[in-house]
Amino acid sequence: MSLTVAIPKGRLGNQTIDMFKSAGIGETIDEDSRKLIFEDKKNDIVFMLLKNSDVITYVENGVADIGISGKDMVMEKNADIYELYKMNIGRCKMSVAGIKGKRIFKDDTILNVATKFPEIAKKYFSVKGQKIKIIKLNGSIELAPILGLSDVIVDLVETGNTLKANGLEIFDDMYDINAMIISNKISYKFKREKIKETIEIIRAEDEKNDKNN
Amino acid sequence: MDFLKIEDEVKFSHKMFILKREIEQFLCEEGYRNIEPSIYENYDEFTGINFRVDKKSSVKLLENSGNIFILSPDITTGIVNKLMPRWELGLTLKIFYYGKTYINNGIGIKENRQMGVELIGEKNNNTDESVLSIAIKTMKKYSNQYLFEIGNSKFLKGIMQACSFNNYDYKNILNLLYSKNKQELKEYLSKISYKEPMSTLINIFDLEGSLDEILQNLKGLYINDLMQQGIDELCTLDKSLNGNTHKIIYDLSMVSELSYYDGIIFRGYIDGSNKVIIKGGRYDSFTEQYGYKIPAIGFSIELDELIKTIYEEEMTI
Repeated sequence: MSLTVAIPKGRLGNQTIDMFKSAGIGETIDEDSRKLIFEDKKNDIVFMLLKNSDVITYVENGVADIGISGKDMVMEKNADIYELYKMNIGRCKMSVAGIKGKRIFKDDTILNVATKFPEIAKKYFSVKGQKIKIIKLNGSIELAPILGLSDVIVDLVETGNTLKANGLEIFDDMYDINAMIISNKISYKFKREKIKETIEIIRAEDEKNDKNN
Repeated sequence: MDFLKIEDEVKFSHKMFILKREIEQFLCEEGYRNIEPSIYENYDEFTGINFRVDKKSSVKLLENSGNIFILSPDITTGIVNKLMPRWELGLTLKIFYYGKTYINNGIGIKENRQMGVELIGEKNNNTDESVLSIAIKTMKKYSNQYLFEIGNSKFLKGIMQACSFNNYDYKNILNLLYSKNKQELKEYLSKISYKEPMSTLINIFDLEGSLDEILQNLKGLYINDLMQQGIDELCTLDKSLNGNTHKIIYDLSMVSELSYYDGIIFRGYIDGSNKVIIKGGRYDSFTEQYGYKIPAIGFSIELDELIKTIYEEEMTI
């Protein structure tokens, strides 16, 4: 029974692949190739390279046993999966930001929030008791307040440079975001040992990288 | 591309009929008798006794007189509600049913074919085992790639009661348990004032696997009477199931979606299927709402999922 691992394409995926390779796993993976499925026969693991937002979908539906996904996606999709391990990579924050100096909203109106993460935004503001209208965007979220599309944005912030360059600032930090190892619930029952072994490998790599930095 | 043809549809329907009849036959042989569940229930009554019913996803009906009914989302609740108010003390009932449950899944109404077994009014050392082994035997008939997972809600209840969390924390902790998120659970607990039972809670994800492994990992951890009772029940069960080559794992962190389970809980899976095929457990405290605690245990089989698995196995041959 081989283990199927879903890896997101892009930086997070490349970092994960490096970790696996450093532990001698998935040496057949070639990120530059157009192939999307790689088999590591020696370790009995199949790797699938997917769009980052699709990793959860594949894992939840049992096509992949485990996967690497940002906590942001995990929170947004609220999927029925296990969140087994929080990795040390992919660190950033989910934040509320807006035009510098315009952070006070005292009128009892609806706050316009532009975001790629409607569910996270809804949950966060409902706890605060703030009525909002979601404006779902797919990219260049920073433009929304500048062009008057929204009052604030909810987005991932890593360094804050993009915000600064666009005259925005962080109003509130909402959540810490990390990469997570997620698992299909039923796969976990059948392949628990193998899944735990794999997580242990990643954890050891995490620790090793920590020491080097 | 070919889609479903009438011939295929009838073939499938007939297959379902045969499957249903086989299981019914088997349950009759095991001494269970059939009852026919009602497809609708009074809405207020239903949500009153089973407060975890998702109000959003239930399918409501408006009757002429203005009463609201729902198409049954959970058959056991309906059966208990029908039998308990006029329960005769000393009665033992071994029943099974075939029925459909209904939920609104956002796209439309989803029908779910279910078969279920209930044993009400009997509780001795063998009762849990006898019901569980019927579930296992049913599964075994259709696949040898199956796995049963067993837990006991008393264990977690014992911890949660001893910690006396407020509602908000309780809900958040349950969600972390539900997603087996060890690191966040640890972080979360570190923000709440420390109580001894938390030492077990933090390590609860190590309490899974074989019962021997669990007992080994339990050493040195906090345990109270209710938790011990849960473990003892599992040990008794394990002993009576032993000697068989049943594929069983235990998980003390098992959280059930249904609030009425109280004691043993179990789920059955088939490799390759992404859904729970069998789920069940003991629900004594559920009957308590009617005035007296009647021991009760049961399980249900998801026929739609089971038949899909059998079909797939046939297709690959």
